[in-house]
Amino acid sequence: MQAEPETETRDARRHAAAAARAAALARRQAARAARAASAAEPVRVVNKHDGLVRAAHWAHVPLLLGLIVSGLAIYWAAPVFRHAPTPGNPRGDYLVDAGRALASWFGATGETRYWLYERMSVGPMQLANALRLHWLFAYLYMACGALYVAGLVRGGGWRALLPRRSDPAEALAMIRFYMGVIPAALARKPWPHPIIAGKYNALQRAAYLTMPLVGALVVLSGWAMHHPATLGWLERLFVSYDGARIVHFACMVILGGFMIPHVILAIADGWDTLRGMVTGWSVRVKGTPHA
Amino acid sequence: MPERRAKGPSLGERLGTALGRVAGAAAERPETTRETTRGALATRSRRDFLLFGASVVATAVAGWWLLPERAKRTWLPGAADRLDTLAARVGLTRMQREAQLNRVLTFDDDVAEALFSKQREVRTYARPDPRPLRNNYHGRTPGPEYLPGWRLNLSGLASGRGERLTIDELLARFARHDMNTRLVCVEGWSHVVAWGGLRFADLLAAYPPARGMRWAALRSGVSLNGAGELEPYYVSIDLETARHPQALLATHHGGAPLTLAHGAPLRLVAPMKLGLKNIKALTDIAYTADEPADYWNERGYSRYDGL
Repeated sequence: MQAEPETETRDARRHAAAAARAAALARRQAARAARAASAAEPVRVVNKHDGLVRAAHWAHVPLLLGLIVSGLAIYWAAPVFRHAPTPGNPRGDYLVDAGRALASWFGATGETRYWLYERMSVGPMQLANALRLHWLFAYLYMACGALYVAGLVRGGGWRALLPRRSDPAEALAMIRFYMGVIPAALARKPWPHPIIAGKYNALQRAAYLTMPLVGALVVLSGWAMHHPATLGWLERLFVSYDGARIVHFACMVILGGFMIPHVILAIADGWDTLRGMVTGWSVRVKGTPHA
Repeated sequence: MPERRAKGPSLGERLGTALGRVAGAAAERPETTRETTRGALATRSRRDFLLFGASVVATAVAGWWLLPERAKRTWLPGAADRLDTLAARVGLTRMQREAQLNRVLTFDDDVAEALFSKQREVRTYARPDPRPLRNNYHGRTPGPEYLPGWRLNLSGLASGRGERLTIDELLARFARHDMNTRLVCVEGWSHVVAWGGLRFADLLAAYPPARGMRWAALRSGVSLNGAGELEPYYVSIDLETARHPQALLATHHGGAPLTLAHGAPLRLVAPMKLGLKNIKALTDIAYTADEPADYWNERGYSRYDGL
């Protein structure tokens, strides 16, 4: 008679376990069904960027970075922006001064003459290496630019970049919006985004059209420096050899400088915008309110 | 007054229509939307992000592999060796990098060669830069001891003999040509200089190279290194370039004979080549069938150096 309760408990346990398994199975099935229902749920998306545009956009990031770090190492060999020689700076290179100022600001000790070149370029005394890298990245950059333009044409995206008559008014409205967005958030006041009819607002259009134009200019000034003899007409276009160097440097500053507000604003705009540049689509269909 | 007959739209009207048509074609189209399912979006999105992630990893690995050793050690001193080992494990060794980067140089040289034409003149300037031309001798500037015994030695000639020419013979025998052209250094600086000298093409015509010769090996036997020891400097010049009318064997600079700092008594001035090909204190020209050695090419720079 001693065994009886024990068997009962065992049976009870067995039943409980079976019930639990059945419940788990039911839950899994329900979840799967819910997932299937959700996966089958229709959704409307808008095609934002052509595949070639997306590929070229992301490829520009390492290429521009590579061009800047190799380009500054080339620039180190013979700076074009110079003042009279000083004891610690016989070439009068303003970038050496800038590096020294930054180094002391960051509290760096020791020899800081090449502080900037060591951090923002592949280094001083690397001319041969830097030239090889610069040519590699330059040819890839040109190929990438061609892909970008091909993508704009194929996807019709070029139309969204063209200036239009409403641009000045819209640009002012956007500037006003950007100036007020932080104060409004601090004051917990509503601060609605201006209504934008097209794919981009006037400021975006101006910036996104400027970039390919500056890209073309940086390539042209590069060729003017690389082949001033065989492409003499191109060197003349920039007045002189040093004219091409100055334009090339200025273009680098514009292209690099664009990235800072671009990255901040793209992140501020949210996940949909970032994902859109990877996948090409967005769920923000016009007519739905801007997030 | 006869009534004007309607001749169709005026020029202004037609221009207006054309502009309107262009503006219509360039006007932003309404956005294109499509209906799909969440599941399909998720699948495509997963695929795109996996591809994106793989590209980021591949780019980072290739970028690390391409970096010069100095930059690797400055930027990531602690991890440089380990990362190099990892890159080498997938076949990205230092030797591989050198080979690939040199292929880039060769490609760029091929582009430069394709752009070159013996018929096309290099830009000349009304006046030279007023600043003195920089002495960019790689090592020390040679002293005047070599000048009295200086000869230009020619070899690889059709005559089968070698020639030894004095500067007076060269000046007497060949016509002098003057030109203001830009000397462009690989470092990035440049200078418009008033050069004078004989045409390389004239020397080639007077002492023709042997059949099948396509290159000139130019050498300065009096060049010094930084410690002041003899270290010959040598460059390769293709004969197509040597025959360009603006390729001079210069004897004069700024109207006066070349100084020691600028390669007395004879130097090459080829304004369609980087400054480093413009060899100073030239002592030997040997014509060769195959491309001869080039000092800076052996030190990681390009070979053709066409401007």
